[in-house]
Amino acid sequence: MIQSQAAPQQASDDIAVTLKGVNKWYGDFQVLRDINLTVQRGERIVICGPSGSGKSTLIRCINHLESHQEGTITVDGVTLSDKMKDVEKLRRDAGMVFQNFNLFPHLSVLDNCILPQRRVLKRSKAEAREVGMKFLTRVRIPEQADKFPGQLSGGQQQRVAIARALCMEPSLMLFDEPTSALDPEMVGEVLETMVELAGTGMTMLCVTHEMGFAREVADRVIFMDAWQIVEENTPDAFFDNPQNERTQNFLSQIL
Amino acid sequence: MFDFRFYEIWRSQDYIDTLILGVWNSFWLTVVGSFFGITLGILLALAQGREMPLWLRIPAVSYVEFIRNTPFIVQLFFVVFGLPLLLGYAWSLEASVVLAIALNFSAYFGEVIRAGIQSVPAGQSEGAMALGMSRWQTIRDVILPQAIAKVFPSMTSQFVFLFLTTGLVSEIGVKDLTWAGRYVADRTFRDFEVFIVLTILYMGMVYLFKGGFALMFRAAFPWWGKSR
Ligand SMILES: Nc1ncnc2c1ncn2[C@@H]1O[C@H](COP(=O)(O)OP(=O)(O)O)[C@@H](O)[C@H]1O
Ligand SMILES: [Mg+2]
Repeated sequence: MIQSQAAPQQASDDIAVTLKGVNKWYGDFQVLRDINLTVQRGERIVICGPSGSGKSTLIRCINHLESHQEGTITVDGVTLSDKMKDVEKLRRDAGMVFQNFNLFPHLSVLDNCILPQRRVLKRSKAEAREVGMKFLTRVRIPEQADKFPGQLSGGQQQRVAIARALCMEPSLMLFDEPTSALDPEMVGEVLETMVELAGTGMTMLCVTHEMGFAREVADRVIFMDAWQIVEENTPDAFFDNPQNERTQNFLSQIL
Repeated sequence: MFDFRFYEIWRSQDYIDTLILGVWNSFWLTVVGSFFGITLGILLALAQGREMPLWLRIPAVSYVEFIRNTPFIVQLFFVVFGLPLLLGYAWSLEASVVLAIALNFSAYFGEVIRAGIQSVPAGQSEGAMALGMSRWQTIRDVILPQAIAKVFPSMTSQFVFLFLTTGLVSEIGVKDLTWAGRYVADRTFRDFEVFIVLTILYMGMVYLFKGGFALMFRAAFPWWGKSR
């Protein structure tokens, strides 16, 4: 196993994402409270915390699937707002992998990869097919290309979802509990794919409770509770020596 | 015992030709009306979407309500006789009747398709939008194919039901199958036999349509039911 990287953040002023004083409400209910976060390019961040603490909401704000009411979110130098011109460009820069895969059941695995490339990047059919096969090979399921998603196991479907997102050549990948809907025996293959992706230098924000993964690839672990960031640290320090009482409680429950 | 005399119908080439023409007219009026009806129905279903502005939703909902709560025969009279007077145009009877059928069908198909759209999980459009697809691309390439596959059986039965209502166009002299039946019955006085022949022809067409829909389903949705 690779040793965790307790090293400080890379000395680079190349910033992928910043959140400054972000507040968000659903009606009267405040779901994000004063969120501040800076993500360096190439950095891998794991976000964990109890159910309902706002983790999904936080990463969904980063590709503007949800909008926030206060504070600023900047992704690749672009500041997000409801009036922003090119939300499609933001979304193809920030790939997202969902808990439930969200593959298109009516398209073959390869066509799942081809459709967004054709529509969004306006690639030719041949190029889209080639790129699709490249990433299906990367996640090690090129032989499933002509099947429909429903014919694949959960682990395979999630790997297709990762390949499909990578086809858009994002600079940042967001994962929302990518292994939570999987049978235990399939978690490993998806995590392995994510570890490999981390090895390519991809900037990654992962909501997950997979501690092994966090220790292996994360530069930082962020703990959310009650709609705010409670603690943040390197993985080893976070898991072995949590500072906040709520973090300690949480970790004692999932360990 | 009633004395069946079907030969009274068969003995005249004119009656047979009229019935064949009736089958053909009922067939194409329904098919063409459905084509436009389904197209308009999709637009009506989309216009009623939650995220659509009220100035689109209210007219769409009102239109569907109006059509579904008034008799087809009244709509038919209005489109064929009323509209040309109001708007000052003169179309052929066929064109007006197709328009009336399409306007009527669209409300019914629209409701079925709307249910289909609602049944597609929200994750599907989130997945598409997270890839950078536009709202319209998401609807066209992701939502609609799944929505229509889901409600295809309901659309088939809706189609059959609407087909059977098209007999009303005979009231304004369109030579459809119902009109042909009346034509033959008036001349042979064999109403009961004609009634039986019409029943068989309508049923035969229904099964033809159902078979066609089943083939279309398999061609258009090869993925349906494919799971481990
Ligand atoms: N669309 C919504 N409308 C209202 N409340 C919501 C909505 N989505 C999420 N919430 C609430 O916001 C809180 C945070 O949700 P979420 O970000 O999904 O948490 P997590 O991913 O950490 O489990 C929860 O209390 C949830 O019930
Ligand atoms: Mg969540």
